[in-house]
Amino acid sequence: MAKQYEIPIGAQHISLLEPLHFKFTTENEKIVATEANVYYVHRGIEQACCSKFKFRQVSFVVGRVCGLCSISHTTAYSQVAEKLLKIEIPLRAKYLRMLVIELDRIHSHLLCLSHVAENSGFEALFMKTMQYREFSMELLEAVCGNRIQYDFSIVGGVARDLKPQVAQSIMERLKKFIPQLDELMDIYKNNWTLSLKNKGAGAITKEDAMRLNVVGPFARAAGLAVDVRNETEDLLPWKEVGFEMVTETTGDVYARNMVRLRELYVSIRIIENIINGLPESALVTETKAFPDGEATVRLEAPRGELFYYAKGNKTQVLERLKIKAPTFSNVAAMTEAFTGNEYGSAPAIIASYDPCLSCTAR
Amino acid sequence: MKLASYRKKSPWILHYNAGGCNGCDIEILACLSPKYDIERFGMINTGNPKQSDILLVTGPVTKRNRERLVEIYAQMPEPKVVVACGACASTGGVFRGMYNCEGGIDQYIPVDVYVCGCGTRPEQIIDGVVQALAILETKTKELEESVRLNKEAIKENKQLNRRNIADEIKPVYT
Repeated sequence: MAKQYEIPIGAQHISLLEPLHFKFTTENEKIVATEANVYYVHRGIEQACCSKFKFRQVSFVVGRVCGLCSISHTTAYSQVAEKLLKIEIPLRAKYLRMLVIELDRIHSHLLCLSHVAENSGFEALFMKTMQYREFSMELLEAVCGNRIQYDFSIVGGVARDLKPQVAQSIMERLKKFIPQLDELMDIYKNNWTLSLKNKGAGAITKEDAMRLNVVGPFARAAGLAVDVRNETEDLLPWKEVGFEMVTETTGDVYARNMVRLRELYVSIRIIENIINGLPESALVTETKAFPDGEATVRLEAPRGELFYYAKGNKTQVLERLKIKAPTFSNVAAMTEAFTGNEYGSAPAIIASYDPCLSCTAR
Repeated sequence: MKLASYRKKSPWILHYNAGGCNGCDIEILACLSPKYDIERFGMINTGNPKQSDILLVTGPVTKRNRERLVEIYAQMPEPKVVVACGACASTGGVFRGMYNCEGGIDQYIPVDVYVCGCGTRPEQIIDGVVQALAILETKTKELEESVRLNKEAIKENKQLNRRNIADEIKPVYT
């Protein structure tokens, strides 16, 4: 047996956006064991949501759980609060929520892809992907009024309407984006240099993915067809706007890239369908009720299944709010998939998980 | 060797997330991308505190992050400038008063430039960093003068010192 070395990554590292600590035990460049330490970002949001803020303010606070998927958090909270209030939101608000969730998915997936390229050592592709990503940020700013932290969903509906000229500009920009996406698809799929770093790295089998409860693009790359958009129809009508499941079989970094790129095509189709068939109705359902009882909500965030539980007691302040973020489910599989890989490909594998620790730790 | 003139032309950036929501971090990443292109100021994002001149910090300081933050700050060579990116790095923002948050990085390290916004726009970050460049220049001059005249560098404490209301800092590795 060769001598074993322990190599830490984090809490501050060039390849990490957020504080995350991995301790690798290596044997001649091969990783044999991994320890993950993810709770650097714990802020105590759940407790503050149940004591400091009123239930209508909480939707703005939970947006600050995570900057990448803030619309998923605000929407999931709004839905769970609407279940507690026992109200039905207008149809137009539902469609506008789906529109912003899909725009957010485009920007989040492109960010993850560019990060994988950067950590694989392909700086030019990082720049290219980031350049193509800017259109989604501009569209989000046009729709919601802010580049990130768009507090779009509120309890009872949405905060802003979609203006006709903004809808038109979305269609035009998406049309421009499709050839750019084809170009990116070509590079990520066929570039030989990138495939050396990505193919076969960080692979996980379908059985392991099933056993370790993996969600999101991580699971779909391993061949597991899990997507909340495919399962729930009661809150947001995903199938009506053209949702399709995307899966790959190999479960490595390359497969995750492919899943993300192909999901972008699905997102683009969903956005086009939403804008073409946007129903006319009010934006907010007004109510003077207070939250009462218990409710749960599942929603597909860019990284996987997001779960919210809330309990009300007929006062302004909630009794309990529980957030289970997608990365939390993936941590076990994240440490497992490193085993057998070379230490040099570890940053690319970390980026391909697309970990969101501020969601996990809250 | 005129180190100061080179430093002004290529200040290197160190980025640390002290418990924020990633929002400002992706905007810092967007600054590096072709549309905003912070590299035209000669700035490169480094991962090494010992090579960097400007520290960009985001997020309210969580209790677990503060030791790392102070450690990183201590490892950076003089002269150094700290830019607090975002509302929660400046004051604690929406997280102020939560049980695991400290509320602003200026409780632990001196901050030179505050950048507002939740989340900060890339334009604001670039503006803040350009302001930090001017501060870096004056700091360099002070430091050089102190070396030439063989006296201690002027250390003005313009900071609002909120340290005494916070807990004491323990070493990271014990």
